[in-house]
Parts: sequence; C-alpha cells; structure tokens
Amino acid sequence: MSSETRIFQVDTNFQQMARRPGGIARDRAIERAEVEITGVKVGFDEWLSRELAELAAAFAAARDNPHDATRLAEFKNRSRQIGDVTATMRFELLAFVAGSLCELLDSIGAGAEFPVEPIACHLDALSLSARADFRALRPDQVPELTKGLRRVVEQRTSAGL
Amino acid sequence: MARFSINLRDLVILVADPSSYMSMLIHSMLRGFGSNKVLEARSSTNVLHILTNQKIDILICDSRLPPHGGLPLTRAIRRKQDNANRTIPILVMTSDGRETTVKLARDAGANMVITKPMSPGSLYDRLAWIAFNPRQFVDTPTYFGPDRRFKIEGYPNGIGRRKGDKAVEIGEEAGPALAQGDIDSLFSAVQTGHDS
Repeated sequence: MSSETRIFQVDTNFQQMARRPGGIARDRAIERAEVEITGVKVGFDEWLSRELAELAAAFAAARDNPHDATRLAEFKNRSRQIGDVTATMRFELLAFVAGSLCELLDSIGAGAEFPVEPIACHLDALSLSARADFRALRPDQVPELTKGLRRVVEQRTSAGL
Repeated sequence: MARFSINLRDLVILVADPSSYMSMLIHSMLRGFGSNKVLEARSSTNVLHILTNQKIDILICDSRLPPHGGLPLTRAIRRKQDNANRTIPILVMTSDGRETTVKLARDAGANMVITKPMSPGSLYDRLAWIAFNPRQFVDTPTYFGPDRRFKIEGYPNGIGRRKGDKAVEIGEEAGPALAQGDIDSLFSAVQTGHDS
C-alpha cells in the first residue's frame, strides 16, 4: 500500500446517534411514513398542474431550439421529476406515461431529429392521465393509450432514430 | 439481516433535490421515521453554503442536482480538507440505475445509492445500513471516502419502488439498469487487489 494512503476509522455522529435506543421500529416507521405521504397529497393537484405547464413550456423551448442541449436537458429533467414524484405517490398511469416520455427523450441522440409528434402524443397523454377520472387508473386499465405510447417509442428506438 | 431500529431524533438531515415536491415527499418519509430536523436544498451551491455554516449529520442528494450534479458535489465535499462535514454519510438518489452511474457515485465517495422512485422501506433500510455498518475511510491522492474494498454480510432488503407496487416502467435507460440489490452489492463487493 502506498505511503500516501491513510485508512482510518470513522464513527460519525449520524451512526452514534442513530444507534441510540428509542428508535422507531422499521414496520412502524414505514406505516408512519405512508401516513405522512398521504398527508402531502393535498398539494399534489396544484403541483401537477404547475409542472405540466412548465413541461409544456420546456417542450416548446426544446422544439424551437432542437440542437440546444441545455433546453433538451431541462425538458428531460422535468419529465423525470414528474415520473419520480408520480411513481412515489402511486399514480401508476401518470408514472407510466412520464416514464415512456423519458425513454423517448433518452433516445434522442446528438444531432438527431427532434420527435415533435411522438412527444406531443405523450404530453397529451399526461394531461389526460392527470384528470381526476383517469388519475387512479393503472396502465393495464387503459391499454389503447399505453400500447399506443409503447408503439410510438418502440418505432423510434428500433429505427435507431 | 436482523432488523434494526434507527433513532433519527435531533439528527440534522440535509435533503438536496431540485424538485420541491420530491423533497417534501422525502421529508415526509423522514418525519415518519422520527426525524425532527430536516433541511432542504435545491442546488449544489446551496448545499455547499449550508455545509459551510453548520454541521450536518447526513446528506441525501440527487445525482442530477443542479447546477453541477450530485456526484461532483459529493467529490467536492470529500476533497475539502478543512470541512467539518467531510466524513458525513452521503446517500445519492438517482433515477439512472445504470452500473456506470452507480460506480461513479461510489467512486465519488458516496456511502450508498438509492434508486428513484424510492419507497419508505427502501430509504429506511439504507439509513439503517449506514448507521449499523460503520466503514473505514480511505484517504489517497486520488480518493477520499468510504473504503470501497470491504465486504459486509447482509444488505438492506427491498427495492427502490414502493411496497406493494406493481412493476411500473419509469423509463428504461439506455444500457442495463441495476436493481437496488445489485447497487448495494457494488458498494460492498470485495475487490481483491483493487487500489482505492
């Protein structure tokens, strides 16, 4: 071992304190966390509306500047955030559509054509999935929608576009 | 692996995610776990500012934290010699489960990677793992952080998705995405002869 290498023990404050007695047992902690998550659903509608509007704006910016990597990255990040939050909140259809959009965006290579129509399909699907009468649905409950989106993405990815 | 209880009371936890709603969800989970001191940051700049001004006990940060990313942030925290927070546990969150990304996080000095979307169980298990599996630190000219060579027995169970969820595609990454168990293995595999 190099003489410039130093190996030392670290017992951080986190480790010392987290090991104290009096902690909440795992199953109970998870139950409590689920209750807390349910509590924040109150603000979800407003957040989602705002995020979908921001996503539409990011799409327009990326569409109008298809070779601007920053705008595409912003669009991807917004899509990913919607996917992460909706999946955590168990809105499966929304998470599916957002995930499909992320996959589509990931398939855009450097200098490749910006797939306006497939993306627009996904944004429409997101708006539909966000509606109160659709939000609680699972992907398998709307096969026409989900299969259609899969076909759009697979056509693009299999064509190597 | 035996189930341990973790006591998060009075521990200062910094959650760094560009999404305010995602931060709120994580904060909710931590509150459910008994945490009463959670700070939030939206950027790596904000994180560094907080770390300069107060002691943090653990950092949970997104790999895509703007403007520079969570991995450069992790590396910067580990390399700053006069920083009192240099050895704090760092848990990196990522939607990108590819092996390359996970290895990059490990090599930046992260203690653990957790995939998004995360479940309360998955987060609890990783916090418990960090708490009950203290690791040596390695300081070399090219790396400062948890020893990447050790082997432990028993990894946190659970995957990044919520308990009871059906398989929901969140977006397939180009290249193989790792399951949470594989990610955990990368952080604890014995690498004989590996120079940290």
